[in-house]
Amino acid sequence: MTVVSSTQFGARRTTADGRRDVVRSRADVRPDLEAVFRSDYARVVGVAARVLGSRDSAEDVAQEVFLAFGRSSVPAGEARGWLTVAATHTALNLLRSGRRRGAREQVADDGLAIVPDVADLVVSRDERRAVRAALSRLPHRQAAALVLRHSGLSYAEVAAALDLSPGSVGTTVRRAESVLLKELNRHASPE
Amino acid sequence: MRHPSEGVLRRLVDEPAGVTDADRTHVASCSTCLRELDAVRADAHLVGAALASAGNGTDTDLAWARLSTAAASAPQRRQATAGARPDRWRAAVRRPAVAAMSAVLLLGGAGVAAANDWLPIFKTERVTPVEVTSTELVQVPDLSGYGDVAFTQQPETKQVPDARSAAGFTGLDVPRVTELPGGVTGNPAYEVAGQVGATFTFSAEKAAKAAAAKGEVLPPPPAGLDGSRFRLQAGPALAEVWSQPTGLPTLLVARAVAPTVDSSGVPFETARDYLLSLPGLPDGLAGQLRDLSADGGTLPLPVPAEMVTTSTAGVGGAEATVLTSRNGLFAGVVWVQDGVMTGVAGSLSAGELLRVARGLG
Repeated sequence: MTVVSSTQFGARRTTADGRRDVVRSRADVRPDLEAVFRSDYARVVGVAARVLGSRDSAEDVAQEVFLAFGRSSVPAGEARGWLTVAATHTALNLLRSGRRRGAREQVADDGLAIVPDVADLVVSRDERRAVRAALSRLPHRQAAALVLRHSGLSYAEVAAALDLSPGSVGTTVRRAESVLLKELNRHASPE
Repeated sequence: MRHPSEGVLRRLVDEPAGVTDADRTHVASCSTCLRELDAVRADAHLVGAALASAGNGTDTDLAWARLSTAAASAPQRRQATAGARPDRWRAAVRRPAVAAMSAVLLLGGAGVAAANDWLPIFKTERVTPVEVTSTELVQVPDLSGYGDVAFTQQPETKQVPDARSAAGFTGLDVPRVTELPGGVTGNPAYEVAGQVGATFTFSAEKAAKAAAAKGEVLPPPPAGLDGSRFRLQAGPALAEVWSQPTGLPTLLVARAVAPTVDSSGVPFETARDYLLSLPGLPDGLAGQLRDLSADGGTLPLPVPAEMVTTSTAGVGGAEATVLTSRNGLFAGVVWVQDGVMTGVAGSLSAGELLRVARGLG
């Protein structure tokens, strides 16, 4: 078996044919990766799931994002914001690449429950799917601003991440919400 | 006092402290604004609910084990083939999202995605991040600040069942991968695209505005440039895509008739050199413009230098551009021969991709 625990990141490993190879130097994967991962993993999956509507895809994105984070030199204090932004961009790209290729099951329903966190707002699966399709059609920056805001970033953080002026974040988010709502209304009232 | 904008009301929902006292005071005593604020708030909650997903059920321990494996295995894939159960682990390290991104990056210049989106320099929004970094994800600027861009020909894109159909549809020779790199298995899917065309009409007025926005004055355009039209054309194209069971690509081989640009008025080079002389022209756009020529002999690849390193290598007599993401997660090789562009990309090492490129039949 070749499962490697975190303590082996900098280790030498002997292969089946007896060669020894440097797996990677310790400097390559930041030492605080595990701590950051454990504290933020669920959150990052949540961000990606907001875009993709699918937990499986969202977990794939989270893996990707943490892999990149592990090789980055992002200051630990900025990790959370960085991860949120990276997850948003990555998930949006995935959503779009799925659409490009003929929209297979990127926005597939993999058993998401109706969410109880806003108790009186029941959104059907069809509506969720429609919202993701609309999200994939939004200009990238607009979609990203929407997702970042709904992922808890402040207006100033959203502005910094997307190179928007702080004053325009509200307008950008509102515009994105209006587009998505049209999709929701269309599905809510087919007549 | 006039009513604050919807953007201000939207911020009031989340961050009242971020709104000016004047706006807050106005809204509090204005029935129109209060009604509007209620609507904005309700909309925000509804969208929030639609975007939310079940928040529990992640197994962090399991996920951490997966990441540890991937992080430790990724840099030494070739060696991993010597291991006892290589395939399983090799599959685990091929991160689908990265593969998809590398496809976007490369096909932005070379294949089906290019056909879908046309030359990314003219449609930058679609090129978006090729990498997962955040704040440094600068937008590649586009030429729409300097004129009008119109699509004249939208390509038909579709999946075809086999290499023979792909060749029939595009008139191109389908590259045959003689030996798949380890970890890439199965048969490829074939995607094809017809020709795309777009015209860019230079507008001195727009260019002046773009310059003014940067606080600069537009140098006088060369005679005849204002209103000159440039026709851009690319395709047809085909791509062979090897995918993971999740449906995301691991290896991609694409071939396309290289993009060309020609002009109705002044030569394209004149327009290009003029654009390059403009104050405030973003570096990224300048680089892309320098690489775009009338004869289709160079690659208008939108390569964000801060994320990707480029080098060159020989492939069958042509000089190929080798792209490697700075994080080492994906790579690509692209070259042009006789007006036909071929690209190989994937979440593999540049060495592995070069072997594939040189072995194409």
